[in-house]
Amino acid sequence: MEVADRLRLTTSPGPGMPPSFEALFRKEYARVVAIAHRVVADADEAEDVAQDVFVSFYRKHPADAHYAAPWLYAAAAHNALNVLRSRERRGKRDAVEAIRRDTQTPDPAQAAETAETRSEVRAALARLPDRSAALLVLRYSGLSYEEIAAALGLRQSSIGTLLRRAEDAFRREVTT
Amino acid sequence: MSDIEDMLSVTEPKVDTERALARLRARVEGERIAPVMRGGAAPHRIGVNIWVRGLAAAATVALVATLLTVSGVAETILTIFEPKQLVAVPITVTDLNGAASFGAYGTLTWTEQPKPYDVPDIRTAARDSGMTVLVPGNLPTGVGTARYGVMNKTTATFTFSADKTQKAAAAQQRTPPPMPANIDGSKLFITGGPAVVAYYDDGTSPAGATGASGASPFAGMPKLIVAQGKPPVVQSDGVTVEQLQSYLLAQPGISPQLAAQIRAIKDPSSTLPVPIPVDMATSKKVTVQGVEGIFVGDSTGLGSAVIWQKDGIVYGVAGTLTEQQVLAVANSLH
Repeated sequence: MEVADRLRLTTSPGPGMPPSFEALFRKEYARVVAIAHRVVADADEAEDVAQDVFVSFYRKHPADAHYAAPWLYAAAAHNALNVLRSRERRGKRDAVEAIRRDTQTPDPAQAAETAETRSEVRAALARLPDRSAALLVLRYSGLSYEEIAAALGLRQSSIGTLLRRAEDAFRREVTT
Repeated sequence: MSDIEDMLSVTEPKVDTERALARLRARVEGERIAPVMRGGAAPHRIGVNIWVRGLAAAATVALVATLLTVSGVAETILTIFEPKQLVAVPITVTDLNGAASFGAYGTLTWTEQPKPYDVPDIRTAARDSGMTVLVPGNLPTGVGTARYGVMNKTTATFTFSADKTQKAAAAQQRTPPPMPANIDGSKLFITGGPAVVAYYDDGTSPAGATGASGASPFAGMPKLIVAQGKPPVVQSDGVTVEQLQSYLLAQPGISPQLAAQIRAIKDPSSTLPVPIPVDMATSKKVTVQGVEGIFVGDSTGLGSAVIWQKDGIVYGVAGTLTEQQVLAVANSLH
């Protein structure tokens, strides 16, 4: 590459977004947001997570990669869990407040109670090992065993067992 | 519904995919993120390295645009802006995402477009740029010979537009504070360059080769870049720094931390902020050529850069080299 070309790259906008990436975005965005939302229980934060996930994919992978969808699902779960953990580190008040914004009910007392419960559940989720938490999130976001196996790089035949273990661990965390 | 399904239940979020796609496009364009193409040649991967890109363009209007974009704009917009020193301004991915691109606030019109071109030798680079071009006294092992490029002096006018700001914010589901009437329609006159960039490719591989490691963000990067240029100067047709700072730092997406850092710049009319993406790089003050400079280390440990200003010229040295090597090259420039 000539020097002028290199310089041009520093001063001109990047190439346009490939149509294949836009198609992928349109197809998977809602599902990626839904996975992140299942974790963070805050629609705005879930959309922020989804944006970061798609940017990461855009930087590193071709849009027509055969693994695009499972990659996006796994990244949505992991990134959202990271957001959840950093929220937990900031303290319970922050965590409840984030969820409160997302709790749609006309009764303020009920909204506060729901937010509190959701926050406790998510604190338990944040304490689980990453793979167990991701398994639960993906499964309860409606992914099939096949999709979960592809997303987390596991054997499909082991998903059932791993899921049951994750559920048991989750229940224990919620009750402690 | 199982107990766990019940516990993890949430209200289904309503998403506007087209709006979200517009937001992503704005980010990709604002950060100049290049997609990966099948086959991995990715000649545009150079754009991934924000700090290298910023450094290479240090003395050009492009850097002004980058700085204005990522650092909340205000610190570089002055009645007369002539930087005499540099300051590192840490920015986060959230800041990058949150700050609207400069284009969202108005229209940039080039009066003299940046037209980089290759020159055959250092003598031509010096003649065309009107600068004494410094060369390293010694080079680390594995660094090949230099090729030179020149960026002409560029000028541009930026016109603020309340209408455009409003539309850009609406596309991102944001509500910005109203643009004060005296800012709407006001103009900034930006001058940058000229600049000279020397590229040293790996002595063992053909110039411009992307290297074996397609996954590395440094694929396609030259081994060493030495850049120098006249820093940007910004003039305003009337609006004051205080007015712009107050308006722009109140924008949604500008974090309180970033706003505080920008307000803390003691002498904004003579300080050039160097954005440091904290999740990708670390920075520290160093002494280079007898003056204070900023060292930037890529967090992967693969690359280093140093930038400083001396006698009215901004200099930068960057490469896939260690801190010691980059500083040795910088200090050997003569």
